Amino acid sequence: MKIARTAAAVALAALALTSCAPPTSDNAVSSSDEQTGTVRVWLFSEVNQDPKSAVVKEAVAEFEAAHSGAKIDVQYIPVDSRAERFKAAFNDPSSAPDVAEFGNTDLASYVASGGLANVTEDIKAWDEARDLDSKILATTEIDGKNYGVPWFVGVRALYYRTDLLQQLGLEVPKTLADVETVARAVRTANPGMLGISVGGAAQFSAMPYLWANGGSIATREGDTFVSGLDSTESREGVAAYTRLLKDDICPAQTCAEFGGNASVQQFIAGKSAMTIGGDFNYKAVAASAVKDKFAVVAVPGKTAGSVAPAFAGGNNLGVFNSSTHRTLAADFVKLLASKKYQQKMFDSMGNLPTFSDVQKDVAASNAQVAPFIQTLGAGTNFVPVTESWSTIDAQGVFTGMYQKIVTGKADVNTATSEAADAMNKAFGAK
Amino acid sequence: MTALAPLQAESPRGNNSTRPSGTPTADSRPVRRSKVKRGLEPWLYLAPAFIVLIALLGYPIFQLINVSLYDYRQAQVSGKAPLRFTGLENYQKLFADPQFWTVLGNTVMFAAACVVLTLLVGSTLAVLATRLRPWVRSTLFIVSLGAWATPAVTGSAVWLFLFDPTLGLVNKTLVSIGLTQFAGHSWTYDKWSGFGLVASEVVWCSFPFVLVTVYAGIQAISTEVIEAARIDGATMPRIARSIMLPMLRPIVIVVTIQSIIWNFKIFSQIYIMTNGGGIAGQNLVLNVYGYQQAFAASLYGLGSALGVIMTALLMAITLVYLRILKRTGEAL
Amino acid sequence: MSAINVSPRTNAPSAADAPQKFRRNGRRRFGADAAALAIAVVVAFPLFWMVLSALKPKTALDAGDAAPFTLEPSLESFGRVLAVNNFGQYFLNSVIVALAVVVISTILAFLAAVALTRYNFKMRTKLLIIILVSQMVPVEALTIPLFFLLRNAGEAIPLVGLNQLGSLVLVHVGFSIPFAIWMLRGFVAAVPVEIEEAARLDGASSFRFVRSILFPLVAPGVVACSVFSFISTWNDFLFAKTFIISAQENQTLPMALLTFFKPDQNDWGAIMAGSVIMTIPVLIFFIAVQRKLVSGLAGAVKG
Repeated sequence: MKIARTAAAVALAALALTSCAPPTSDNAVSSSDEQTGTVRVWLFSEVNQDPKSAVVKEAVAEFEAAHSGAKIDVQYIPVDSRAERFKAAFNDPSSAPDVAEFGNTDLASYVASGGLANVTEDIKAWDEARDLDSKILATTEIDGKNYGVPWFVGVRALYYRTDLLQQLGLEVPKTLADVETVARAVRTANPGMLGISVGGAAQFSAMPYLWANGGSIATREGDTFVSGLDSTESREGVAAYTRLLKDDICPAQTCAEFGGNASVQQFIAGKSAMTIGGDFNYKAVAASAVKDKFAVVAVPGKTAGSVAPAFAGGNNLGVFNSSTHRTLAADFVKLLASKKYQQKMFDSMGNLPTFSDVQKDVAASNAQVAPFIQTLGAGTNFVPVTESWSTIDAQGVFTGMYQKIVTGKADVNTATSEAADAMNKAFGAK
Repeated sequence: MTALAPLQAESPRGNNSTRPSGTPTADSRPVRRSKVKRGLEPWLYLAPAFIVLIALLGYPIFQLINVSLYDYRQAQVSGKAPLRFTGLENYQKLFADPQFWTVLGNTVMFAAACVVLTLLVGSTLAVLATRLRPWVRSTLFIVSLGAWATPAVTGSAVWLFLFDPTLGLVNKTLVSIGLTQFAGHSWTYDKWSGFGLVASEVVWCSFPFVLVTVYAGIQAISTEVIEAARIDGATMPRIARSIMLPMLRPIVIVVTIQSIIWNFKIFSQIYIMTNGGGIAGQNLVLNVYGYQQAFAASLYGLGSALGVIMTALLMAITLVYLRILKRTGEAL
Repeated sequence: MSAINVSPRTNAPSAADAPQKFRRNGRRRFGADAAALAIAVVVAFPLFWMVLSALKPKTALDAGDAAPFTLEPSLESFGRVLAVNNFGQYFLNSVIVALAVVVISTILAFLAAVALTRYNFKMRTKLLIIILVSQMVPVEALTIPLFFLLRNAGEAIPLVGLNQLGSLVLVHVGFSIPFAIWMLRGFVAAVPVEIEEAARLDGASSFRFVRSILFPLVAPGVVACSVFSFISTWNDFLFAKTFIISAQENQTLPMALLTFFKPDQNDWGAIMAGSVIMTIPVLIFFIAVQRKLVSGLAGAVKG
């Protein structure tokens, strides 16, 4: 008894001593830089995985041939649970991978976590980098330092079914209002068909509506941001988008839960007349049953002839701060993001390259990329560059807002105000 | 519970007062009660388990409470921002957030429904099982064990597939019998239909525990007692109520407590079947909500506060339950 | 229930040889049997559908084939599952972790149950309550503290650090013990005190009695109860997802299954085939220990 009690007391004391404050980790740059061994790579898994795997496999083979003793271990992780995975990796640097693909919207929070390595010097020393589209390269920059190499650009455009529009004598939409009318007309004529497949959880498809109406996500004020969702213009945009998720176009019953991919999946399955899809979806659509019956145009703006500002999405390749294979990791990033492999990724996945000259090449020889290039040229917008964006994203602020409106749980004004509050709270939590 | 008072006259051996407060009876039970104290010995046997428990449960629980008192986000974890002790701020934030109360309400209602249904289905089937032909009983047990053995991930997947809006068997069947409004019907669109779907899966995979345990309990009731009561002219319902139920009480207590614990902590089913909490978070329960706040939104402090609240809630419910039992003469 | 002799080892009935207490209501039995069979069908249906969907060809599934049978059973879904890189490795990892947890947690819980049932000491009831309460903490909430605990532990003992199977074993042992102690009390208590006294008279030490007499006597029931630790470990995907950060070679089976949950286009055939593969070992375990489990549960709640 006595001994046990003493032991317990000692154990408790030891606990108390070691744990006054919650544990933290140290994301210092790894000091070792091994030239052999396994380089672990995280890439996102895709709806259509095989073509991506094939290109990556080729790059891995080339890399391993050129670096004897080095092995590349590629792991495909789901986009949905990336937040948990990356955080776990930042919190335990010794288990983190060396290289990862990540969305450009997450960059700010990853840098704030100290998880990503500064690759400015690597980019400077890399010949091909001179041709990188400077605007795209800028999305990897925080305080003048680059934390990733842009791997592809993701912009969204309007996919539509040529056969259906023709049958009904409908013109290709020239304004956002047209999109709604055409969508409604198609569904009226074909009740089994979605007028346009959009989703309550497809926040990036909704952004052109926000921006085309003059709204904004947030504006910078000093060293923080203020949500712009509750402005009149933003509300107009939100209202216009959510009008699409009605029974006469894309019933909320079906569409409220759709994310971007699910919306495109409906189009691929021939169940919708239009959708807002990315350049990265092109190959999948072109390989589907509707391959001969669709075309793509830039998402139109409010007035005929204008283009709605699109969200400048895209993914980067980056090196983890904690990597013990710093040089190998950077070399692999440079190989996979090289012109050669970006071209291959374009050929197999349709991902838009980030090199200006490669972009021009592919545009010249592939008519289908024109609407995407046009969208890029018309000017794009981005989410607020702050670590808080990841929190806002993970809390589903935008998704929740759209879903509340389309399911009738809140009206546009209430939902946007709530979302704006939630955003401001996240910005203010710094 | 007072209705369950045993009929002493009819069941001479039906003394259901057990354990510490119970009077030692002539059987082999008093074992440990009559044991001499042997000082250190029990502690030696306890030590390995308790060292593990202290390290892997005690310490994390301590840290959970500790973290819930800090402003603890990803930047703090990475050592990029100073750690700030904020006292009860995380709790205040939660209590001021209407979403928290909604989620709390959801959790209590969903868990309560699961507990009640699980107990009801399980014990009804247990009673039924005593009256079955052996092969029918074996069939029932084997399929129940199958449901029990199904991992939460796969069970959720199968149920989700059965109720898939376009490919699911349920909608197809409903449409084929003329209910065309179910074509493409999403079962997770409506909040309560979503909870209902998840609850069905939960009951499906958790009633077997109740079934097997309660059945075992019924089997343990001596046949003579029941025969004696029958000879005395007691009717079946009366035997069930006055003899079997009191004798089953210890078992009922354990399955109830376990069901409460398990069902309040449901995570996988909600996470998978409603895709992380449903449309606009309508199907969130505390456990999933806390996990999302902590791991997805990296508000570790807030997430931990939710974990603490949840543990406290479970303890409170169990304590109230035990208190009620104590008043009616039952002890742990 | 002390008045009734229910030693699990001696005369506890099991599912198969249950006495017919209600035989006199023979006419009602047909109705009961029919009802039970109907319920069995409902309960079994999701399982049946799982196996069936795993055997249907992918084209039939994609086309939304709702037929309750398939004329061309195919193993291609199983093929896709088994073709996942290192599937065998994942399976093996799951088996290793589950078995390690079962062995370690059962031994520790058995010893603790001995202390809690065969000794009378002051803290006994308090400890029992602590054990009960410790089951109430949502394990998901503990992921964060455990994450850091294991990270630090890994610096001292690499085997149990993050990214290692040892980390999974460790946390599941922790979570399995409380319920296992709770379950095993009944078995340990059921062994008559006379046996212990006889052993003592023969000069056996306490530990020797526990090891050479008590344990063999209760072993079958102990094995039966270990099915609980087995299931919870086998099914876990939360810790596997959080702790096995980048070491693909240390992933477990549920993670392999999750790879078929694709954004918006689930490969149902493969999910179902994977589910079948995952369920079978648990089912075998269950059926093997079924009889002991029934008596064990009856005993457990009387401890």
